[in-house]
Amino acid sequence: MSPDTAYTSDSLSENLIASVTNLKVYFQSKQGMVHSVDGVSFDIVDGEMMGLVGETGCGKSVTARSFMQLIQTPPGVLAGGKILFKSQKNCNKCDGAGCVACSKTGKNILDLLSLSESQIRELRGERIAMIFQDPGKALNPGLTIRTQLAEVFQEHRENDVFKKAGITNNLDGINGYLLKKYIRQELNLITKLMLKFPPFSGFRKKVDKAIDGLVTEALSETQIPNPNKIMERYPHELSGGMKQRVMIAQAIACNPDLLIADEPTTALDVTVQARVLDLIKDLQKRHQTSVLYISHDLSLVRRICDRVAVMYAGKIVETGDAETIFNNPKHPYTQGLIKALPSMTHERGKLEAIEGMVPELINPKTGCRFASRCKQKKSNCENNDPELKVLSNKDKSHKVSCFLYE
Amino acid sequence: MQIRDYIIRRLLVLPVLIIGTSIIVFALTRIGGSPIGIYLSHEMNPAEVQEMKERFHLDKPVPVQYFYWIKGVTQGDLGWSGVASAPVVDVFPKKFAATMELAIAAGIVAVSLGIALGTFAGARRNKLADHIIRVVSVSGASMPLFWFAILLLIIFWVWLGWFPIGRSDPNLFEAIPHPTGFYTIDALLAGNFAAFRDAVWHLIMPAVALGYGATAIIARMMRSSLIEELQEDYVDAAKAKGLAERVVLKKHARRNALIPTVTVIGLTFGFLLQGTVVAEIIFRWPGLGRWMASAVLRGDQATIMTYVMFTSILFLIVNLVVDIIYANLDRRVVLGE
Repeated sequence: MSPDTAYTSDSLSENLIASVTNLKVYFQSKQGMVHSVDGVSFDIVDGEMMGLVGETGCGKSVTARSFMQLIQTPPGVLAGGKILFKSQKNCNKCDGAGCVACSKTGKNILDLLSLSESQIRELRGERIAMIFQDPGKALNPGLTIRTQLAEVFQEHRENDVFKKAGITNNLDGINGYLLKKYIRQELNLITKLMLKFPPFSGFRKKVDKAIDGLVTEALSETQIPNPNKIMERYPHELSGGMKQRVMIAQAIACNPDLLIADEPTTALDVTVQARVLDLIKDLQKRHQTSVLYISHDLSLVRRICDRVAVMYAGKIVETGDAETIFNNPKHPYTQGLIKALPSMTHERGKLEAIEGMVPELINPKTGCRFASRCKQKKSNCENNDPELKVLSNKDKSHKVSCFLYE
Repeated sequence: MQIRDYIIRRLLVLPVLIIGTSIIVFALTRIGGSPIGIYLSHEMNPAEVQEMKERFHLDKPVPVQYFYWIKGVTQGDLGWSGVASAPVVDVFPKKFAATMELAIAAGIVAVSLGIALGTFAGARRNKLADHIIRVVSVSGASMPLFWFAILLLIIFWVWLGWFPIGRSDPNLFEAIPHPTGFYTIDALLAGNFAAFRDAVWHLIMPAVALGYGATAIIARMMRSSLIEELQEDYVDAAKAKGLAERVVLKKHARRNALIPTVTVIGLTFGFLLQGTVVAEIIFRWPGLGRWMASAVLRGDQATIMTYVMFTSILFLIVNLVVDIIYANLDRRVVLGE
């Protein structure tokens, strides 16, 4: 079943590619339920770069992985919420004309969390792709770069492979059956053996060559020198920066609508970080891809992102334009974070740190999660949950979840 | 470094290891006393005893005796087996083939069943199938072979009469030539299907009894390393590409989970060889193990040394093969050296 038969009746504004509403992901543990993501909402504007900032353990990665249903359940529990995603295919009801069901976008709106396994699989790597934090761990150590990159094309670009191999006319009968099984990685011992001998081996070699071509193209997209040589290597033979380029090549191979970058530069050397960052920004601009960029590094997010959402202990505390957030932060946590940043104009001396510790996320009490560390705490902060609200009518995208502004 | 260079280097080390093993084997056997007893009878007088000692070079110092032994081995003389009342070299090949047939059959049972069960359980962690497989493998690893073998014998031979004991029906095998000594293969080469069926039928019970312990060890190792691999980032990355669960499991996780399992497989082979002694005695299998057991009791040193030497060399070769498979699975091994 194609994912587009599972469209929802929820609406998504025209300019958005995805929207997270009240996402709740919990994890079972011996001590109790860990509320890793507890009511997170934010929007990703089509073609823009959205930064999701927060410290380690605040639920950024869990939010990101939820987009692709990569949370293991159990121990994970999807406790509620929706992730709406605008698919490329035309709306089932109006066929692109624009109706109420698709919020006049003409495209199907999918709820990523309610898709079946086979439906989400069609989106993974094709419409939504992900770059992982540590490229050394995210590449399989036992397979060559080629094998790993080829899988993306084998899974989503079967027709392109056949077209490139020039064998679209020979796909009837046993030959086509074998080659399709080969591309889909569904061979058994007998079919594998059959492909080793003529007349099938010739076609298999053509397919291999076509895949080689696609892999080379994808690798050169990320400015890897000698892609032909690099693709025969194993991950451990490449440097960290190279491996991350391979990961990026793999992620953008199918030109996805949404790219999720989960701290893609954290595991890299500082010198390599800047280059990888520029590469992502450059690719994003060229392909008009929407990016969800996850990081704990505020200054980095400021440099490349259009919009920012600041996350603290499983909740979004503030969201808005990158410039607004940095120049006019409203939430005490965001203010603290920005004060803790070293800058060129900052006078010499100590940086300010936020006092205290991140609260336990196991069966948390009601009340603002930041209250225990907040210097501007009021009487009702510890008893009531603040809501994410628009501050002024002038800038409706700037939202803060704090009682100071109510 | 290429895999080929790696193999060549490992092969070059092999003779050194074999010479080292032979010294240890010889020294350990001689610690048990002079082997002269097996060559003597009560009627011999002291002069005759002295003559026998000189004939077998047992009047010389032990290091010199070692060189006489090695000289004999290189000339195809492995000594006289008192137990078999024949030269070791005449009896050995037939019995060796019998034992190898049993050990290999048990190995096939253990490796295929162990990996399959381990993968199945690991992929279904904490589900019912996993629990059942864990119970089966814990019992396999903790039940002594002699006990389990007798249990099988009572149930399937005495009570149900499904499987025979011994190695074959002699009527079927007298007419068949024995180029390999492996009855199953000989029967196939001769094109005698009835004999083949008979050989397999005799093989099943001892092979299962012998292989069960190793199956349990391999399955447990496979399960735990698969569970570990499934937690890795590259598994999520593979899923994020849109791959089917089946491909993620078989091509990505299982491949890497096999790396530690293959090492264990190499070690369990030694376990199997050692188990043949017990299995052969219980199932009346005419192999090295049974011969060996009586040789140890009677102080038949030529037999003991040959047996230990052969199994050591076999063990070395199996582990070499395992290391080569290992290097093929985990490319970092070869480069890292």
